Amino acid sequence: MADILLEPARLDYTPQMLPEPEVSFEKHPEHKHYLNHEYGLLSWLLTVDHKRIGLMYLVSVSIFFMFGGIAAGLVRTNLITPTGAILELDQYNKAFTAHGTIMLFLFLIPVIPGVLGNFLVPMMIGAKDMAFPKLNLASYYVWAAGALFFVWQLIVGGLDTGWTLYPPYSSKYSHTSVMYAGLGIFITGFSSILTALNIIATVHKMRCPGMTWGRLPLFVWAMYATSVIQLLGTPVIAVTVVMLAVERMVGVGIFDPNLGGDPILFQHMFWFYSHPAVYIMILPGMGVINEVLTCFARKNIFGYKAVAWSSVGIAVVGFLVWGHHMFLAGQGYYLAMVFALLTMLVAVPSAIKVFNWTATLYGGSITFQAPMLFALGFIILFTIGGVTGLFLGTLGTDIHLHDTYFVIAHFHYTMVGGMMFAWQAGLHFWWPKMTGKMYSDFWSRLAAIVMLVGFALTFLPQFAVGYLGMPRRYPNYPPEFQIYNVLSTAAAYVQGIGYLMPIFYLGYSLFAGKAAGNNPFKATGLEWQTSSPPSPHNFETTPQVYFGPYEYAVADGLKIIPLNDGKIHDIVHEDPDLVGTTPKEATHGS
Amino acid sequence: MAASTVEGPVAHHFNNMGQQLATVRFGMWLFLVTEVLFFGGVFCAYTAYRIWYPKDFEAGSAALNVGIASVNTFLLLASSLTITLAIRAAYVGNQGGLMRNLLLTIVLGSAFLGLKAREYYLDYEEGLMPGTAKVMQKQKVEQNGKEVEIEVAVPKFDIALEEVLKREHFKGEAHKDYDPSRVMLFFMFYYSMTGLHVLHMIIGIGLLTWQLILARSGFFAHKSRYVYIEVMSLYWHFVDMVWMFLLPLLYLCGPHTSSQAIEQFKMAIGLSHGGH
Repeated sequence: MADILLEPARLDYTPQMLPEPEVSFEKHPEHKHYLNHEYGLLSWLLTVDHKRIGLMYLVSVSIFFMFGGIAAGLVRTNLITPTGAILELDQYNKAFTAHGTIMLFLFLIPVIPGVLGNFLVPMMIGAKDMAFPKLNLASYYVWAAGALFFVWQLIVGGLDTGWTLYPPYSSKYSHTSVMYAGLGIFITGFSSILTALNIIATVHKMRCPGMTWGRLPLFVWAMYATSVIQLLGTPVIAVTVVMLAVERMVGVGIFDPNLGGDPILFQHMFWFYSHPAVYIMILPGMGVINEVLTCFARKNIFGYKAVAWSSVGIAVVGFLVWGHHMFLAGQGYYLAMVFALLTMLVAVPSAIKVFNWTATLYGGSITFQAPMLFALGFIILFTIGGVTGLFLGTLGTDIHLHDTYFVIAHFHYTMVGGMMFAWQAGLHFWWPKMTGKMYSDFWSRLAAIVMLVGFALTFLPQFAVGYLGMPRRYPNYPPEFQIYNVLSTAAAYVQGIGYLMPIFYLGYSLFAGKAAGNNPFKATGLEWQTSSPPSPHNFETTPQVYFGPYEYAVADGLKIIPLNDGKIHDIVHEDPDLVGTTPKEATHGS
Repeated sequence: MAASTVEGPVAHHFNNMGQQLATVRFGMWLFLVTEVLFFGGVFCAYTAYRIWYPKDFEAGSAALNVGIASVNTFLLLASSLTITLAIRAAYVGNQGGLMRNLLLTIVLGSAFLGLKAREYYLDYEEGLMPGTAKVMQKQKVEQNGKEVEIEVAVPKFDIALEEVLKREHFKGEAHKDYDPSRVMLFFMFYYSMTGLHVLHMIIGIGLLTWQLILARSGFFAHKSRYVYIEVMSLYWHFVDMVWMFLLPLLYLCGPHTSSQAIEQFKMAIGLSHGGH
């Protein structure tokens, strides 16, 4: 055993000898896990368990995703006819603003850090909980309070400024509830900062013995980079919103040129946060893809260090490109050139990731379960989204494409095709770990295909119509664009059906799904080494890590999953080759 | 101190006290990073406008009460010393000294806030509040070759500012080298920057009071828990540091003299009634 394990020393993460496990085949008569060790509403509302908090985020963001989706449905339905099918002009403004604000601040930003980050980061690094469990709970409630302001803002009449809140739309000329929305942004931003602080502190201080930085799962690296952005970017938009609020309340001209202010300053400060914020939205998704791809290709990641550092690279360079949102807003030529150049630069780490993923797939033993289908969809769609981003980052082409549907299609390819698909991949990948139940294979794959087809047909026509010159945010358009819009709207409904499907089969699995077992996908991460659902403290004993996160070559070659606590009963269950064997016997037998 | 040798009650999710204390410290530093960026945003906006409108910002600064600001600076610096002494007291297990120094810090911080409130009140009385309120004022204008007196609406702020500047700095001469709406912008920054700072002070004093209560109940009998005082002091020093930037940016960017500062302070606390 030692020979086999020590031989591939050329690997980065030299597998060392497995610890002699105390093998126990006894099943706990009633497995006490984080879901059933205590009951009652208060046990959820006052929990400091990172896993329960993760599930609370899951429920909340899913609800807001539905709100945002309904707003998107209104926008798309209205665009069926050139003059607007169902909404008045101001209603249309409010619908697309509601779609943008809800999807960004209440779904895309909290979804993976809040749900998967909370649930997985401590487990992946072998910790019992986040570094600051009470702060973690507080950040959920802070987020919920911020979300309530958004809901209130919708109830009292909605916002019509677009999600960017540019003055003077949001200061002088808006009579809608800018203040509530601003408060919502400020408060949810504070929650985002606290979550980020918690994750960074957890990664730095809570890693179990043997979990070196070079052995961190790439999801953790991605979450770390995301948290750095949240920590540095979010306070800037918070103070920007404060200044906007002061301008509205007092009537001084911070951003009003008539009173000596400058609206471009708002745009600078807004995008200083909001451009890095798109990396807050996409980086965790990229992290999920690393975990899913390696598992379903049964391979170590190609270029671990490159992928890990490219996350950090995106976080750093992402802070230097905000000006590309303002090429046509009146910033200087030379400034625009520098920003265009830096925008090209930020594409490099993203491309590194895509190339490494494809290289990981090369020669892998690929199976196409639902998480893998979502992950493959991510790679294709994100690549299209990323490359079209370069068109927009190039000064000359941006003059033509700025504020057209080309931009809409571009960022939906990265935000929806990227983040939404990564989120689905992650949700489907870790659902058995979270709930202990397995969902329907057929329906989950079908959902992946429906979402992919619906998505592609929604946004591909928008590239075309945007190139032809249809501006964003306009409710009316020339009749010759109608065919593109009808196609887009029809596909949006298909997409909507795709998003509804998981509610049914995942919900069904909770009640009637078969037990998933500890490690249904035979993945190597630490989180799979404990029971499903995990016990309240994640691990029976503090794990000891001996090798990197993706040793699928070793794991499959030995036909065992290296277990840290030595409990392999579930694998014995599922893999006939291993019935009645200990890891040691399995090694010698093969 | 080696991590494994630190003793004390450990929270459920940590392996040992060393890990817990290191995490607590690290967490506060991370929080301060966020705070730097938070204040950085408004400092950045301030700087942009200061570069564009130097004369107007100078005029605005000249109208501020530099006397109170100077005294407040000393109060805050002294409170930084007392909280550092509190760490030392907790570290060596001197409970009495710990409580004394925490209380002193609270008192000094509260004195700062009291003077600050006084300063806001004086600004309010002088009418230095940005806003759109207007008053009717008689002005002489030329009409059809004749000079006539008519009533025009003038922003309240403009009149108040002119009076304050005349009284304080320019010996009664009209100083017209500024645009009142831009001075209003300066005052917006003055109120929001000092307001954010005051908010942080209030939170800090709240936390200090909580720690004082904990200290009374013997929470810091475990010497290793001095780290919580240390973390509190990090926050407190940060708030001081913000003030160290606010003082030159807001108060010292206009013309002031030390005798005028002393006079302003005397007036503020009622020792003098202003002999202009």
